[in-house]
This record gives sequence, C-alpha cells and structure tokens, in this order.
Amino acid sequence: MAKEKDTKPMANTVIGSTLVIDGEITGEESLTILGTVKGKIAVAQNLVVEAGATVEADVEAQTVTVSGRLTGNVVARERLELKPESKMVGDAKSPRIVIADGAGFKGNVDMDV
Amino acid sequence: MADKETVIGPETRISGEVRGEEDLVVRGRIDGKVQLTQTLTVDKGATVQADVDVRHIVVSGTVVGAIVASESAKLTSTARVVGDLASPRVMMEAGAAYRGRVDMGDIAAARAAVSSRAVQRSAAGEKPAMRPAPPRMATAAKAVIAGKVSAPVAPASPATRPATAVAAGALGPASPPAFPRVAGAMGAMAPAWAKKKIRRR
Repeated sequence: MAKEKDTKPMANTVIGSTLVIDGEITGEESLTILGTVKGKIAVAQNLVVEAGATVEADVEAQTVTVSGRLTGNVVARERLELKPESKMVGDAKSPRIVIADGAGFKGNVDMDV
Repeated sequence: MADKETVIGPETRISGEVRGEEDLVVRGRIDGKVQLTQTLTVDKGATVQADVDVRHIVVSGTVVGAIVASESAKLTSTARVVGDLASPRVMMEAGAAYRGRVDMGDIAAARAAVSSRAVQRSAAGEKPAMRPAPPRMATAAKAVIAGKVSAPVAPASPATRPATAVAAGALGPASPPAFPRVAGAMGAMAPAWAKKKIRRR
C-alpha cells in the first residue's frame, strides 16, 4: 500500500509543492522548498526556494537561492542569490549577493563592508 | 520541476503545523500537528510528536500523539507509538511497541475528538484532562466499516483488544500490567515516563 520509494536516497529535506508548514524549521542539512513555509527557517547548509514556492519567514542559512517568492529577512552566511523571476521583500545580509536580471527585490542590503 | 517527494531529513526539525496533499516521509523530527491527504511515513530513527490526521500512516520510528488514519495504519517491527489510534485498518507487526487505544470504528468521531482536544489544549494552555468517553459507533457505520476489516468489529473495544494485547506482549514481561491510561493526555506534552516505559529491551 505505501509504496517503497527508497530508490533515490535523499539525505536532505524537501518540502513538496502542496505542503504548507506553519512554524519553525531547523536543521543541519540542506532544505529545498517547493511549497509554502511561514514562520522561521534556520539551516546549516543551503536553502533553495524553488519557483512556485512561497516563503514568509526569517531565514538563516549558509547559502540562500531564491527562484520563488520570499518575504522576510535573510541572513546568508556565504551567499545569497536571487534568480530571474524571483521576488524578495525583506532585508538581506550576506557577504556575497547576486541579483539576476529580472529578479524583484525590495529591502536593505548589508554586505558587511 | 518534477514532483519531488517531500522528505524531512534526519538532521531537520519542524515545530509547528504541517499540511499538505502529498506523501510525506519523516526521517528527522516534527513537533506539532500533521495533516495530509496522502501517506505519512515515519522512518526508523524519526520522531513525530504530533497529532496526526492522514490517509495512510506507516510507522517505523517513534510517534507520540493521537493518530487518525482514514484508510490504514501500519506499525512495523521497529515502531514505538504512544497515543490513540483510529483507523479502519490497523496492522501491527511483531516487535512493534504501542500503548494507547485502538479504534477501528468511527473515524469521523475520533477526528472530531482530536481536533476539539487540540482546540481545548491551545485555549487552556495546559495539559488536557482525561479524554471524554470513547466514541461509540453507530450501528450503520459499523456495518460499513466491518466489511473492510478482517475481524468483525462488533462492539468496538473488545474487538480491538487482541491487537493491543499483542503489542503489550512485545513490551516484555517487566511492563507493569495495570498501566495508567495515557489516552488523551498524550501529544506534544507527553510526560517523560510515558516515553520511557515503552522502550523495548
């Protein structure tokens, strides 16, 4: 009945597109979001907000890559990247920030200079 | 983007509410509430301390909280579960450790009991009192559900007793026979003794 789906071992966390999480996500690994997360996110590795995903949360991660929609303050210890078509509202703090052509962004940028 | 399955990795913890219309595999930890229209899989080593409302649940790890599975619930040999379980089909493998009340009857009533309890709990902000009397099945509902279950489900509680007895046997002879009922008091604020006592040796 429950299909065995261990064919593709994935150590990391994926939040699927129909999933809605209201609360706090903390982790020592990478996190990929296709669905909706509201609250707070703190991961030790990479955070990817895929196209179609909605994040309304304060975010802390090593690297943050946004293709979807992110509302909240972001602290990326290494790198923040806003892909084309992404929308971000909030303050960004990271030593390296990449904003692609076509990305939407509103907020403060702090590169620690 | 092809549909990736949702996985909560072993080093990730979610506290809050998770809702969705797809399968969810937990390898890490969820505290709070889980509501899915599909299958929840709690892998070995994973912990879910939440009231759970899903279609199917497969537990190989630890679940503390009330479980409502509208189609089936399976506890594998490594499962450790404390809390009430309501589902028309319940499977427990040898070695599964479980304590709580099994109800193969009126799922809607069980679900209502869980959600009202959740409301009470958040309103009161404290440990809920003992749960109200277990929901009794209406005869008509019973007949429908009995068709899906292998054993006749006549008056709910006696029929479910053998299943729980099997699980109790798995706990080993040292488990106290007359253990205080933990029924409704489970969930996020499960007391430490509740977790300890079910540990298999």
